[in-house]
Amino acid sequence: MVVQEIAPGIFSVGALDHDRRLFDSLIPLPQGTSYNAYLVRGKTKTALIDTVDPAKELELVTNLVKAKVDTVDYIIINHAEQDHSGTLPMIAEIFPGAKIVVNDKCLDQVKHLLDIEEERCMVIKDRDTIDLGGKTLEFILTPWVHWPETMVTFAREDRVLFSCDFFGSHYSESTLRVVEWGEIYRASKRYYAEIMMPFRSSVRENLEKVGTLDIRMIAPSHGPIHTEPRLIMDAYRDWTSDTVKNEVVIPYVSMHGSTEKMVNHLTDALRERGIRVLPFNLVVTDIGDLAMALVDAATIVVGTPTVIFGPHPQAVYAAYLANLLRPKTRFITVIGSYGWGGKTVETLKGMLPRMQAELLEPVYIKGAPGAQDMRSIEVLADRIAAKHREIGILGKG
Amino acid sequence: MDSYQCTICGHIYDPAKGEPSMNIQSGIDFSKLPGDWHCPICMASPDKFVKV
Repeated sequence: MVVQEIAPGIFSVGALDHDRRLFDSLIPLPQGTSYNAYLVRGKTKTALIDTVDPAKELELVTNLVKAKVDTVDYIIINHAEQDHSGTLPMIAEIFPGAKIVVNDKCLDQVKHLLDIEEERCMVIKDRDTIDLGGKTLEFILTPWVHWPETMVTFAREDRVLFSCDFFGSHYSESTLRVVEWGEIYRASKRYYAEIMMPFRSSVRENLEKVGTLDIRMIAPSHGPIHTEPRLIMDAYRDWTSDTVKNEVVIPYVSMHGSTEKMVNHLTDALRERGIRVLPFNLVVTDIGDLAMALVDAATIVVGTPTVIFGPHPQAVYAAYLANLLRPKTRFITVIGSYGWGGKTVETLKGMLPRMQAELLEPVYIKGAPGAQDMRSIEVLADRIAAKHREIGILGKG
Repeated sequence: MDSYQCTICGHIYDPAKGEPSMNIQSGIDFSKLPGDWHCPICMASPDKFVKV
């Protein structure tokens, strides 16, 4: 429980959660996470920006006591998801005079998610400001980064952007600063893949919108503070761009080794053709790593045997996730083997309505792969290489 | 009359069907939907829709 002054009159009052290992009962957290909340003290008014996950409510309250806060005039809710807003009911009770600052979509959500009374709320519009006395907070609506109500708050004089989930990372860093950019780049990319990628075009639009601000520091609601905003903003420009990389991601599962042989042969064939390959054995895969690989790859090849009449459930899970995350993948196909029949390829195809990728001819064979099947795998590798050349990401070779 | 698709969640507004869950009858052009209309699936505003 530590209060840190991150800029003059601006304090971090949130909580680290270094040993949390799962988010949304879905997303692995190899580095834990943090729920960052910030206190902004002007000459006349005080604002609290976001709260913390209810599991850490005591920590937020203790920090406010340590910071000797006797009045909060505004509680700003950038995002209604409970890992940031969950402690709002308690904070609103402790500071009965505080106005809860929300946009219209957020108002609807805090009423339904947290039972907040409308009378406590002050509804703001895009670019509205509040004056704390020498500190101006400007609200910028950034819908679908990653919910309908998401917004960011900009402290104009100090040039600090309180970006909530935008530019965040699940990373528990005691200094709250980026110590090693490489590590935070990876954690941020993973976070982007899991949380932001389904809304890539909205993220890109809002990146441009906040890009017009003169930002000195980005203080997100998860992970460390960026004191070199250009690094994370350039990374977001890259991830949200339409450019794909000369990479093939192969999420696969194998039961008796046939599909695995095909995956290994395809991996070698693609390597020989100058293509980067990222195979993921789904039995041992951290889905965050797989999501991160999907950010850039031009092609996905799903490797799965047929179980009973359809794809292996591990492959179904991966396909379902990929369809939800909607990466910018350009080409997709399926390889694998079946014993007596089934509808594996059709079932998988039907699971990907949101993907806008071109389907390449699958290599789906009966039994263990023989020499002819391995040649079919090489033909597939040729086809993938040709497609990568067509879109200009692989040289003539 | 054209159908429009939500670029956020993929939902399609088809004027021939209307939007029964929102009491929007069939036969209403996308441009004639009420001012506060939004995607019934993800709440996105009409500017997030593209013609399909």
